[in-house]
Amino acid sequence: MTKKKSTATRRAEQTAAAERAAAIRKEQERKEKRRRTLVIGGAIAAVLALILLAGYAVQSARDTTGEAGAVPSGVVDEYAVPRGQESAPVTVTVYEDFMCPFCGDFEQASEPMLQEYVDSGDVQVHYRVLSFLDGASDGADYSTRAMNALGVVLDTAGPDVATAFHDLLFRNQPAEGTSGPSDDELIAYAVEAGASEDAVSGPIRDRQFEQWVLNATDDASQDDVSSTPTVMVDGEVIEFRTIDELLANTDAAIQEGLGS
Amino acid sequence: MHWIGVVARLVVGGVWLAAGLLKIPDPTENVRAVRAYQLLPESIVPAVGHALPILEILVGLCLLAGVLVRANAVLSVVLLVAFVIGISSALARGLSIECGCFGGGGGPAVNAAAKYPWELARDAGLLLLSGWLVWRPRTPYAVDNVLFPEDGDEDADEPTETLIRTTE
Repeated sequence: MTKKKSTATRRAEQTAAAERAAAIRKEQERKEKRRRTLVIGGAIAAVLALILLAGYAVQSARDTTGEAGAVPSGVVDEYAVPRGQESAPVTVTVYEDFMCPFCGDFEQASEPMLQEYVDSGDVQVHYRVLSFLDGASDGADYSTRAMNALGVVLDTAGPDVATAFHDLLFRNQPAEGTSGPSDDELIAYAVEAGASEDAVSGPIRDRQFEQWVLNATDDASQDDVSSTPTVMVDGEVIEFRTIDELLANTDAAIQEGLGS
Repeated sequence: MHWIGVVARLVVGGVWLAAGLLKIPDPTENVRAVRAYQLLPESIVPAVGHALPILEILVGLCLLAGVLVRANAVLSVVLLVAFVIGISSALARGLSIECGCFGGGGGPAVNAAAKYPWELARDAGLLLLSGWLVWRPRTPYAVDNVLFPEDGDEDADEPTETLIRTTE
């Protein structure tokens, strides 16, 4: 009886041992597989991280924002072209892109009013030109070329000629999406405004102030200017929905600035 | 149900790849687009603007090829949630900025706010598909199937084999 019982027990024990061995083997296989998964997955993740780092380095190197560049003489606040006397009590800062249609509308609508304030010595206008619409000139980078030209005219002929050139460009504003005036045409406008052809043609063609244009555009975005036109009166952004509203609110803010 | 995963990989991966590639030409604009949301501190804005397109391309390629699907789907979810937060907060704060999702976004935007709902809906759809891939990363025609073969004894209908196995 005991012998028979012990055989059964032994058999049961053998089965249990075999099951345990199988379980251990399976566990080892599972562990091995997990190790393999981690090694392969980790290796791929490491390669991807390296590619990400390399790509990041390339993109950073291609972005020259903030690098030092030639700055036109005569600018105010590093990036602005002034109209009017510095002694004026109120400063109106206009952020605009030569390609932006609403900026053209604003220029047309605001010119008589602002000119009056400028002439009476009450306001100095700071034109903060940007070049974020380069993509909207059929590959011709009109915004950058026009703003560079403005810098060249300011640099060589002073603020009065530069503001006249600025007005000319807006009066002859190209439709958004077209290539806009060529370098030759920009030079012709500069001469019409009163600049010397010999002085401006080289720097306009060579984009002497291109880095300044880039830095100015980045600086405006750091000022939270994400649309043009943006108008500030003594640093306060003027809210608006329509150009008429922008004009009226600008006028009111100037009056308030003069009253205080 | 396997085809859902393949479609999800192709759609989400394709969108990431396109979004990344379209941003590559103008790193300066990418930085301005990130900045326009006015959410991140200026100290990290340029880094995000420069790294994001590369990250998007990598996530896109990995999902298309089926490499580390679960990890990349998790990344996809994280990025999409960040974008949804960005766009909703722009909407809530009344900012009128371009999404910048597929390049651009560094410039003035006309009627930008009118596009927010559509952008949010698109991101929600992509989020759903990415979530599916986090849940079911095993799909046919994926490199993962070669790199990390499934256990033979597992039910083929339940592709629960995961890339990073949790402790059982």
